[in-house]
Amino acid sequence: MIQTYILNKNHLSFWLRQLKSAHELIAPWRDASGDIVLTELSRMHETALDGPALMPSPKEFLLPQMEQLFCYSEEGIEEAVNKQSRVLFGIRPCDISAIKILDTFYLGKNKDTYYETRRNKTILVSIACNQPDPTCFCLGLGTGPFLKSGFDLQFTDLGDRFFVEAESENGMSLVRDFPHIFIEPKTVDSEDLYEARLASQSRFEKRVNLEQVRKSIQAGKVSDAFWESVAVRCFECGGCVYNCPVCTCFNVIDRPASVDTGKRIRLWDTCMFKGFTRTAGGVIPAEAKIHRTKRWFHHKLLHWPEQFGVFGCVGCGRCAVSCPGSIDMATVALKIKGSDQTEEKEA
Amino acid sequence: MKKISTTCPWCGCGCGLYLHVENNLITGVSPSRKHPVNHGTLCVKGWNCHEFVHHPDRLTTPLIKDGKTAYRRASWEEALGKTAARLAEIKKQYGPDAIGILGSAKCTNEENFVLQKFARAVIGTNNVDHCARLCHSSTVGGLAAAFGSGAMTNSIDEIRDARVIFVIGSNTTEQHPMIGMHMLEAKDRGATIIVADPRRTQIAKFSHLHMRHRSGTDVALLNAMMNVIITEGLVDVSFIRQRTENFDDFEKRVLTFTPEVAEKITSVPADDIRKAARLYASEKRSMLFYSMGITQHITGVDNVRSCANLVMLTAHIGQPMTGLNPLRGQNNVQGACDVGALPDVYSGYQKVADPVARKKFELAWSRPMPEKPGLTLTEMIDAIHEGKIRALYIMGENPVISDPDSTHVRDALAKLDFLAVQDIFPSDTAEYAHVILPAASFAEKDGTYTNTERRVQKIRKAVPPVGEAKPDYEIICGIAQLMGYPMDYSAAHEIMEEIAILTPSYGGILHHRLDANFGLQWPCFGMDHPGTPYLHRKKFTRGMGAFIPVEFIPPAEPTDSEYPFILTTGRSYFHYHTGTMCRRTATLEREEPECMVEINPADAERLEIRANDLVRVTSRRGCLEVKARVTNTVPEGIIFIPFHFREAAVNLLTINAVDPNAKIPEFKVCAAAVGPVRRRPGTRQAPRIGYYEGMRIGLDLYIPPEEMQRRDK
Repeated sequence: MIQTYILNKNHLSFWLRQLKSAHELIAPWRDASGDIVLTELSRMHETALDGPALMPSPKEFLLPQMEQLFCYSEEGIEEAVNKQSRVLFGIRPCDISAIKILDTFYLGKNKDTYYETRRNKTILVSIACNQPDPTCFCLGLGTGPFLKSGFDLQFTDLGDRFFVEAESENGMSLVRDFPHIFIEPKTVDSEDLYEARLASQSRFEKRVNLEQVRKSIQAGKVSDAFWESVAVRCFECGGCVYNCPVCTCFNVIDRPASVDTGKRIRLWDTCMFKGFTRTAGGVIPAEAKIHRTKRWFHHKLLHWPEQFGVFGCVGCGRCAVSCPGSIDMATVALKIKGSDQTEEKEA
Repeated sequence: MKKISTTCPWCGCGCGLYLHVENNLITGVSPSRKHPVNHGTLCVKGWNCHEFVHHPDRLTTPLIKDGKTAYRRASWEEALGKTAARLAEIKKQYGPDAIGILGSAKCTNEENFVLQKFARAVIGTNNVDHCARLCHSSTVGGLAAAFGSGAMTNSIDEIRDARVIFVIGSNTTEQHPMIGMHMLEAKDRGATIIVADPRRTQIAKFSHLHMRHRSGTDVALLNAMMNVIITEGLVDVSFIRQRTENFDDFEKRVLTFTPEVAEKITSVPADDIRKAARLYASEKRSMLFYSMGITQHITGVDNVRSCANLVMLTAHIGQPMTGLNPLRGQNNVQGACDVGALPDVYSGYQKVADPVARKKFELAWSRPMPEKPGLTLTEMIDAIHEGKIRALYIMGENPVISDPDSTHVRDALAKLDFLAVQDIFPSDTAEYAHVILPAASFAEKDGTYTNTERRVQKIRKAVPPVGEAKPDYEIICGIAQLMGYPMDYSAAHEIMEEIAILTPSYGGILHHRLDANFGLQWPCFGMDHPGTPYLHRKKFTRGMGAFIPVEFIPPAEPTDSEYPFILTTGRSYFHYHTGTMCRRTATLEREEPECMVEINPADAERLEIRANDLVRVTSRRGCLEVKARVTNTVPEGIIFIPFHFREAAVNLLTINAVDPNAKIPEFKVCAAAVGPVRRRPGTRQAPRIGYYEGMRIGLDLYIPPEEMQRRDK
């Protein structure tokens, strides 16, 4: 059951300040240099909601790039589980969709305690995208620019006010105590909401049909020569994976401080690296760049749907920003689609 | 979770990034989207730059050597006291010039400035240098003579709009990945890329024309290109007349260098040279990039002068999207040079030999200044062998691995009466130190770095220093005070104020101006000066641009029947310099855990070497055993070894021949022999010792407390 409210923009700072007293409040904030980053907010009026997709994705709050799992010594282990309760304010609907996919991975058959603890303590407040970035392509995937369900709280900017939808108990708990600022919407608000959503959908610059691309690959229409032309542009930076809100891989390393004490940490890992598949004998099955780049796309477009029923991509466009070689998901998908269409024409 | 805006500590690109901090631990990194260099991207090193900060190997307390090898933990008071006392003693006994000081291209501008002030005002010597000697000293010297300023002339953000990009001796996509990204974008927009490099690097694969000249024949190649430009009438006559001098001398020399002559020397087809010359000269927006492939030769300065001649000949300078662009290798190697960590200049390249400049610094620092330029890094090592230098103070450098002919360096360090090393990790150089001082890493202090495009940018403290580590400038100030010189700064921005007062080109650069717009590009003369995106506009810094005729000189050590291969050294994408930081970063170390020698398949077949076979590489200086990577990246007759690996230190093999002007060693060419190592069947190789264990066994820096107590009794 979705509850709807209206929040006047003038009341936003007040509400955020109330949240901060009980939670760690994470929100977009403009640095002196002009970048907008997702960070702990100290002055409420400084929240910047007009920026592009935040980098990296909010995944880092559930699965940090480097996380200490436990310290070990002769006495045993001491786990370092983060129990801080958090509100992530101002993330995007595609991020919520991505976190749902992460949940199926990390909270499925094998539960990951560290992820679970963080996840249970995190409340997600998303803002529907009225201004998608030029790199965004969530529209065709149903992962944005606004969601029908699956959020805690979803805000939509209606100019001077926010249209607020609350779905979960967690979301309700943030608005329930403030009936004087979260007021009941009128008909005109719903009309404005409809218009805002319609306008947003017309602003997408990219239309990517991943289903079509999947079929092309399955039909064997994408040659190795094509993947070679993609791979030669790969800088092996791992940025696509580090920035991806859906990628889940991590590596676990031990850092011994002495013979019998030390720490175990885990780090984001990426399949774009040679070392990712190095075996004990030193053999690297996917040594050539083409195998690694191809695998990333295949995993997201073929294997995720088989395993989880959804694509391993939510169309956030972050890989397009972070790829030095411009071989991101949308660009490659459009190239595959393009070459497919020319073939059809020729045939 | 907090995010702190800072600058990447690896290469000279100077990408903007954010460090993520949770409970005083760094949990991650993210790129800055608006930064003019990286635009929301980072390379693999940038994405993993946080990992070494809290590594358990970090030096956390001062260490003092007792006896021959064992170190014991000491208090700051004791360690600084001992350092100050020993330095004062040696200064008194042998004079100030018996002490050498090495700064660091990894430390901030502020720290290098304080260090050179320490050398000149407190010790009283000009013997201060740093590893720029090993990378771009030929640029600083060569371009100063031709243009009057030895720095990258244009900006990184201009690259994408260039029409022709000529890259000589730079593996740009791997060593300056974000500059490589801009080049690739330029290519996507229709630019032509020309590469001159013996190795088939990634940028060469993108190029329209790849000239694989023999290592060490750059002058011949460039002279032939200029010959074509002159004979085919592609020169910019009005520019030469109005902005340059000494053209006639130069022309006479170059006219003898036809492409056919060059073909014999360089083995590049004459037609390719013609093509490259025409492509480069016929567009107005042509940028020339070079790096270590040009500078690390005994003819380093000549190579740089040839590049300068080429850009002046075609008037590709003083405009956006043109210029001569040396790519500096380290995060702050530009800055360390700018603030005067060099033996012959104060900050801002004010010459120590110039009485006016000297007077200015004498007044500011109220001590008499030595007027004779000091010894360079490579000369200091020789001077130790001659007994002229008795003590060294090294801040954040690792000459044992980075300098040519390692054995020579190790012998020198072992001879010293006193060696103090200030670093974040125990390095191979620290092994020889009498006192080791723990320093703060880039995430634990404030300051500024100057990147390759002269952009002075801030780094900010994200977490407190580990253990008792301190920022480098605090350590130096502590020693200076003990030696009786009042030197005290409470924060890095106070040092920057002093730099601004004493250095015209940094005159308007103060910390509070660097927060917006990602810093300022020098020269920036005053508080209202907006910085300078490209140099030599309307007029060269020295007035007229000088053509300097250059003659081809072959490398110091030619190949012969005994040593038939040219050995060339360089960096790999995943590692960085002597590996003290990257090899403690799990992701980077996993990508390239061991040293490999690149060898051409034809050579490998002839010598019966298969991929991953162990081979022995020998030169007149030494020998090492590494695995072979059989690849077309290197041409026949050339082998390539990266220099990051202490267990296979290629600088055991390199030659200590230096450029007569810049004193830069010839890392790029020496003669070597390669042969397979045949083991009897059934004899297994000993397992490779991990890096950390190696550090421990080799150095034994950490003595467990109970062992300490036992020894005390």
